[in-house]
Amino acid sequence: MNDRLSSGNSRLDEILNGGLLKNAINLIVGVPGSGKTILSQQFTFANATREHPALYLSTLSEPLDKILRYGQGFKFFDATAIRDGRVIYEDIGPVLGEDGLDDVLTVIDGYLKQVRPGIVVVDSFRVFQAFATDVTHFRRFLYDLTRRVTASATTSVWNAPYTRTQALEAAEFAVADGIISLDIKQIGEREMRVLQVLKLRGSSYKTGEHAYRISEDGFRVSPRLADSLDDSPYQLSDVHTATGIAAFDELLGNGGYWAGATTLIAGPSGIGKTLMGLHFIFQGARSNEPGIIATFQENQTQLERVAHSFGWSLEDPKVHVLHRSVVAMNIDEWVYELLDLADQTGAKRIVVDSLVDLQSAAADPVRFKEWMFSLAQRCTRAGIGLMMIMEVTELFQLRQISEEGISHLADNVVLLQYVQEGPELVRALTILKTRAMRHRPVVHRYEITDKGFELGDALGLSR
Amino acid sequence: MYSIGAVARMLDIPASTLRAWEERYSMIRPVRSEGSQRLYSRRQVEKLRFVKAQIESGASAADAHRLLAEEARAGGVPAVLEGPPGDRRPLVLIAEKDTYASDLAEYFLRTDGYQVAIAVDATQAKFQFDERSPDVVIIDLLISGGAGFRLVSEFAQKGTSQILAVAAIDAAEEALRVGAAAFMRKPLESLQLVSTVRDLLGTSAIVRSKRNQTAEL
Repeated sequence: MNDRLSSGNSRLDEILNGGLLKNAINLIVGVPGSGKTILSQQFTFANATREHPALYLSTLSEPLDKILRYGQGFKFFDATAIRDGRVIYEDIGPVLGEDGLDDVLTVIDGYLKQVRPGIVVVDSFRVFQAFATDVTHFRRFLYDLTRRVTASATTSVWNAPYTRTQALEAAEFAVADGIISLDIKQIGEREMRVLQVLKLRGSSYKTGEHAYRISEDGFRVSPRLADSLDDSPYQLSDVHTATGIAAFDELLGNGGYWAGATTLIAGPSGIGKTLMGLHFIFQGARSNEPGIIATFQENQTQLERVAHSFGWSLEDPKVHVLHRSVVAMNIDEWVYELLDLADQTGAKRIVVDSLVDLQSAAADPVRFKEWMFSLAQRCTRAGIGLMMIMEVTELFQLRQISEEGISHLADNVVLLQYVQEGPELVRALTILKTRAMRHRPVVHRYEITDKGFELGDALGLSR
Repeated sequence: MYSIGAVARMLDIPASTLRAWEERYSMIRPVRSEGSQRLYSRRQVEKLRFVKAQIESGASAADAHRLLAEEARAGGVPAVLEGPPGDRRPLVLIAEKDTYASDLAEYFLRTDGYQVAIAVDATQAKFQFDERSPDVVIIDLLISGGAGFRLVSEFAQKGTSQILAVAAIDAAEEALRVGAAAFMRKPLESLQLVSTVRDLLGTSAIVRSKRNQTAEL
C-alpha cells in the first residue's frame, strides 16, 4: 500500500519506515535553527508534481522572501518547479494579520479546491496560537483545519518551533499523525543535531535519537545503527579468506578466517596491529576482494608510507582508504559513510583502525556495544570480513582485554604482545579465540621485517 | 416567482445562507433566469419556511433538511426536487456524512461539468435517490453508522445508477460484494474521483441514453 511520501532523504525514510505519512498531518517541531524549514522544503520539492502540486504557506513568523532566498542555496531547490506550478509558495501572513484565524480557513478552503495540492506545508504553525482569542478558539481552529485537510487528499506538514517537551503538551500533538522532533544537543563542547520520531500513527519506526547534518545537499540523517538480532537465515560461506600471513593461515588451521568473520586484533602501541590489517587488506586485493582501511590514525600519506615500506601501494584499485578525524565525529554518520563506501566498492574486507577511537566518539558504552553488534552483524550477512584493531595499554602479559564485551561478538580474537625472552623483548602472537575452528592457544613469536609479518616458533610464556 | 433577494427579505434568511443550503443539500433548487438569477417558486418558499421553522426550534440546517425530506415522503410539504428544466448534465448524488468531504467532492465534480446533489445521511440519500434518479451515487459506507452497505445493496438492486462506494477504511471487497461498481479509499483525490465517475458513466451510457429515449417518447 502506497501510504508514504519520501521525506527527500532515504535514510530519514528508513527511520520513518518508508517516509512521511501520506494524506495525514505531519508535525515537525524543533528549536529555531534546527532545520524545520529546510526539511519541509526538501520534502516539498521531492514530492511535488503537476497533478499534485505542493503548496508552501508561510505565516507571519518569517517573510516568504526570506524563506525563498535561503531555500535557493540548497541543491533540492528547483526554480523550474516553481515556474511550472509544481511548487506554489504563498504568504498567508497578510490574511492572518488583517482578518484573523477564521479567514485563514476560508483561504485554505479556496486552495484545497482550486489548487488541489497534494502537499500543504504551513511554516510556521505556532503563529496561529497568537491569533486565537483563547485556548478554546485555537482548539476550535485546529479542529476545523484538521477536518478540512482530512477530507482532502493532501499531506500536511506543519512546522512549529517547539522544544520536545512543549511539543508533547501542544494541542497540535494530539491531532498530528506523525511528529518529528529536531534538536541541537550539547555534548561536552560540541554540538550535535539530533532527530527523533515522537509519534507515527499505525507504524513502527526507528526509535531514539538520530544524528543529522545540514549541508547544501539538504538534510542528511544517519539513523542510529541499532539492528535487532536478525535470525533470518543467510548464506554462510565455507570459504576461508587468507590473512596475508601464510604461516598464520596454517596456524588458524583452515587457511585463514571464515569469510565474513569478525576479527579483533588487540595489542599495545607499535606491536604491529596496523601491519596485520594491511596484510589482510592487500591479500584481499590480490585475490580480487576489494578492501577498505577505515582509519582515524594515519592519514592517506602516512599510511602510504607505511604500506610502501612493505612493498604495497594504496594506489591499488582494490584498496580504499576512509580517513576521518575523531574530532566532532558521530559514529552513526561515520558508519553510513563506511557502509556506503563498502557498497560502492564491493568491499569484502574492512579494517577499522582503531576501535578505541570509535569508543571515545561514542561516549556511551552501552550504545557503543549495540552499535558494534549491529555493524558486525551487517558485515557478516554481507560476507564482509571485518577486522577491528584495538589498542591496549599493557605492554606485557595482558590480563584482561577491556573492550566492553567486543571479544564476545568477535569470531576471532588475536592478541599481540611483548614477551620477555631472556634479556630480549620479543613480539608474540596468541590466538585466543576462533569460532567454529580448532586452534591451539600457543604463543608464537614473530618479527617485523621488510616483508612484513614473519611468524616464528612457539615459545613458552616467561614470567 | 421570487428573486433570491425577495426570498431573503420575506424569510429573514441571508441570501448567502440560501445559496449555501442549495449547494450543500440540493433540496431547494430554484430555476435560473436567462441572466442566471435564481427564481424561487411559491412551493420552494414554503419549503424554506419549513426549514427555517425547524432551525428556530433547535434543529441544525442538515437536520432541518432531513426533516423536510421526511415530510415530503409523508406527503407533507410537497418536495419537487427537479433541477433546472432541460439540464441533461449527468447527476451525481453524494451520500456523505462529512460535510467537508462532500463539499470538496461536489466542487471537483461540478467544475468537471456534473450536477451534484448531497445527502448527509441514509434517509436523505434514499429520498434523493428516489426523487432524482442520479446517474452515479457516491456512498460513504460508514454513513449513518455503517448504513452505507445497505444503501449500496439497495440502490444496486434497482439497477438504475452506477454506485461508487467510498470509505476511510479499506473495504473494497465488501463494497463490491454488496453491489458497488467501484470503491475508492478516502480522502478522495480530485483527479481520481473525476476519472472514476467518468468511467462509471461510460459503462452506463447506453442504459442512460435508453432511459432518456424512453422519457422522450
